Amino acid sequence: MPEIGKAKIVIPARIAKGDVIHVQAIIQHPMDTGFFRDANANIIPPYFINNVVVAYGGTEVARFVWTSGVSRDPIVGFTLKADREAPLAVTWKDNKGGVYSTSVDIAFASS
Amino acid sequence: MDGLRRRNFLKLSAVVTAALAGEGLTGWLRRLRAAAPPFPGGEDPDPPNETVARLIHDCVGDRQIKRGHVVLDMPDLAEDGRIVPVEINSDLPVAGDDYVKAVYLFVDFNPDPLVAAYHFTPANGPVAVTTRIKMRRTSWIRAIVESSTGEVWADYKKVETTLNGCG
Repeated sequence: MPEIGKAKIVIPARIAKGDVIHVQAIIQHPMDTGFFRDANANIIPPYFINNVVVAYGGTEVARFVWTSGVSRDPIVGFTLKADREAPLAVTWKDNKGGVYSTSVDIAFASS
Repeated sequence: MDGLRRRNFLKLSAVVTAALAGEGLTGWLRRLRAAAPPFPGGEDPDPPNETVARLIHDCVGDRQIKRGHVVLDMPDLAEDGRIVPVEINSDLPVAGDDYVKAVYLFVDFNPDPLVAAYHFTPANGPVAVTTRIKMRRTSWIRAIVESSTGEVWADYKKVETTLNGCG
């Protein structure tokens, strides 16, 4: 049984101040479209993430609006200018009111 | 080089440096951008159907959509319509108030053609988006990028699919 809402943010292992890094955020979610039927021919109701907010050091830096056209266990990759050491948080919201959040700390490698 | 000529040379370099600095990085980048779209487009897409045309209009209004500065990278053939990888890259620079404000991803023949909209800020730097989407059937895909200065750039790709991923 998949664990809905289990999420992870992947960032590069070493980050230097000022780097533009590629961030990947993945969450477990069925992303049901509402167009499929189950084995008993009942319609599986739409159940999908429709809003994603990315905050860096508490400031919103990006916002994504999704439909059920994004694949199951949605993954999104985006860029971020790592100009300060601060937490990077991603919050996903689905059409049934579910809210899921996780964060990582952006820290610079000591050289 | 005698003292006088050396002094003139230094003066000249100072003037050139000042001129470059005056124009600023933004101006330089803007000229670079105006010179030529570095990503020449491929085949032109089919005209959008009524729904897609309306959705595009909702996103960018009547502004002209030019091809360039965006690369939409997808497989020519998506074997599984449930999981089709998408990569959108843009070389539009980020300088001050000039940045990529939004990226819109359309799949013409999906039940919801506007699959995803990505809104960015200057804190993101140059934009590169990756994701995985569903496709109902073979369709033109449109990646439309809107800059904060109001320019709209796009790239298109026709992706064949056999297995319906939307139901």
